[in-house]
Amino acid sequence: MKKFLLNSALFIVLFFIAEKGMYYFLQKAPDREYDKRLEHLINGEMNKDLFVFGSSRGGGNILAEQIEKETGYSSYNLSYQGANIIYQNFILKTLLKYNNAPKKIIMVIDNPQEFTKVPTLNFRYDRLYPLSKYNYINNELIAQNERSIISKLFCLARINTSNFKTETINPPSLNPFESCGSRPVIRKKPTNDLIFINHSTDYSILDELPEYIAAFKNIQALCKANHIQLIFVFSPNFHVFNYEFKNRFEGLMLSENKIIVYDRLNPIYKNKDFFYDESHLMKNGAEVFTSEISGFINKN
Amino acid sequence: MLFNSIDFAVFLPIVFILYWFVTQSNLKIQNALLVISSYIFYGWWDYRFLVLIIFSSLVDYYIGVKLLKEENQRHRKYLLWLSIIVNLGFLGFFKYYNFFVDNFIEAFSLFGSKIQPNTLNIILPVGISFYTFQTLSYTMDVYKRKLEPTQDIISFLAFVSFFPQLVAGPIERATNLLPQFYKKREFHYSKAVDGCRQILWGLFKKMVIADNCAEFANLIFNNSDNYSGSTLVIGAIFFAFQIYGDFSGYSDIAIGTSRLFGFNLKQNFASPYFSRDIAEFWRRWHISLSTWFRDYLYIPLGGSHGGTWKKVRNIFTIFLVSGFWHGANWTFIAWGFLNALYFLPLLLAKKNRINLNDIAESRYLPTLKELFSILITFGLTVFAWIFFRAESITHAFDFIIRIFEKSLFKLPIVRPTYLIIFILVFILIEWSGRTQKYALQTLFFNKPKVLRWGFYMLLIACIFVLSGSEQEFIYFQF
Repeated sequence: MKKFLLNSALFIVLFFIAEKGMYYFLQKAPDREYDKRLEHLINGEMNKDLFVFGSSRGGGNILAEQIEKETGYSSYNLSYQGANIIYQNFILKTLLKYNNAPKKIIMVIDNPQEFTKVPTLNFRYDRLYPLSKYNYINNELIAQNERSIISKLFCLARINTSNFKTETINPPSLNPFESCGSRPVIRKKPTNDLIFINHSTDYSILDELPEYIAAFKNIQALCKANHIQLIFVFSPNFHVFNYEFKNRFEGLMLSENKIIVYDRLNPIYKNKDFFYDESHLMKNGAEVFTSEISGFINKN
Repeated sequence: MLFNSIDFAVFLPIVFILYWFVTQSNLKIQNALLVISSYIFYGWWDYRFLVLIIFSSLVDYYIGVKLLKEENQRHRKYLLWLSIIVNLGFLGFFKYYNFFVDNFIEAFSLFGSKIQPNTLNIILPVGISFYTFQTLSYTMDVYKRKLEPTQDIISFLAFVSFFPQLVAGPIERATNLLPQFYKKREFHYSKAVDGCRQILWGLFKKMVIADNCAEFANLIFNNSDNYSGSTLVIGAIFFAFQIYGDFSGYSDIAIGTSRLFGFNLKQNFASPYFSRDIAEFWRRWHISLSTWFRDYLYIPLGGSHGGTWKKVRNIFTIFLVSGFWHGANWTFIAWGFLNALYFLPLLLAKKNRINLNDIAESRYLPTLKELFSILITFGLTVFAWIFFRAESITHAFDFIIRIFEKSLFKLPIVRPTYLIIFILVFILIEWSGRTQKYALQTLFFNKPKVLRWGFYMLLIACIFVLSGSEQEFIYFQF
């Protein structure tokens, strides 16, 4: 028994030492990423007056650089493609934990999918994995059952196959990053066969996920507690506006927050040349829409 | 409690220390510790079902005691039937009630009668099929006077609930396991190290091979309408490796854990995918269940003796019952039926026992003929797994029909290179250890400690880094 216990202890100690070599891969992983926004957030390097939150609609339809020029507020876009509201809540939490609270947050709403489970909107774990070396990120992954508690002790439990890749990840040519974090679409689809959809889909509260509603409420509560003006934005779609969802949304919204709905009378938003697809504007469309937002901010 | 969970990683060392350092001097207390630990292990999942396992154990214990004293053959038979009714009654209610009700209603609807469904929201107690068969074998062996019934209730409770094999086997015979609770266990260094090695290999099979294959198998089976024939073939092959890695991995962990406590459990898998015919496959796959059905169903029915009709009847009975044991769904019955069809020609041609030796004994590689036989057998097995994995018979047939479309000859859409490489490495390791009780048993055994330990560390690193998204053990649902 003594021999077994001694050998077991020795094996565990040696393994514990050897596996620390994995720290090299953990350290290297963030260097390969072109999107360093989350890392900047954790390092307290994101101190701006205004932030844009949202999914790809927020990232491509609103140009933070243009807002900065038109309003005088230093601005940055923290929207993530395919991010659901829980992920946006996490980004806001991280922003407020490590950086100064901004004056304003513009949150782009996915109409009508904001509170329902759709395959295109998820918690972007892939943005967290390369930053596993940070305890804050690792704790979040543990909280979300993406990592086990032993990752607090073992480097090996913090990494996955993506950490072993050596090549740098390049930004996509379709919507590259601008200096203020926005990602407008700059290339048209080879065949733009968009047709304006004149009918709206029904919205059912039964499809909503309680955790999404909770995240939405938490975002409002965080902004209120930190004296941040929260402005919700409904960006243009190449289909008729869904009022059912808007009514539901207003029912959940705190009265002190503002709401901007794109100018539905503007003919540009019915011109397919300004759209990449039915919910994403081309850069020229984003410039028009951003001007609307800047005008609203300047007035309020 | 899952073997691949943090809970178990904490639970096991605590029980190990209490077992060898605190209770070692007193056998009764040591067995009592095993009973308590096993109930904690089981209750971790759902403590309410502890009542069921305790009740089932007590019924069989007292029937065993009664059988010892009872000389009247008719009374003895009543006692045996009481045990069968209680055990199979629980199993039937929890596992098959809704199946029978649904099918009864469907059958009546064919005649135009409409019956209001009266199904219940029943939770299937984990491991009920396994411990029911274990306790049944005890009563049957006692009834046949093959086994002296125990008068030591603690040992009996420990035998039924022994945590390493409680929820997914191997299904141990009382003749093998129960006597091990009567004797003082001694700690053997080599046994314990061997146990650790087998646990490690089991975890690798489950967390690296099975869980990664599961991701793709689930993706393909759940969206089979959207995939080409070649992709569906890949999906079925992934499922074959998933179920093998999952179940044999569980068995390895169970056997290895038992060895840490000084117990020897029977081997449950013996490289089944290297079988040269279906008969050999069934001698190597889920051995504890196959032999259970052989001894308590097939042989009492007459086995392979008697006329052709009787042989056919017995083969179909054993395979259909075995299929039904796996779950209350026609897909499992179809899977059993298909295996019976595979097996029957071998039995009728008296070729079911031609491959009793290990494949390629004292050779590194199989002959071309052997390789061909292995591939054919594997192909037949994979085909049968489609029924096992499908949601319904219709789903299985749709899946098969889509396989044989033109797209069978296109490159599969889903082809994860890293996983295919892992499966190939896994096959190589399994091949090298095909004559052992588990593939890792003697691998690197005679190499210097540095190499050996380095290899084990590499396996642990693979488990950490490459483990797929955590999936429950498939056989928990049975």
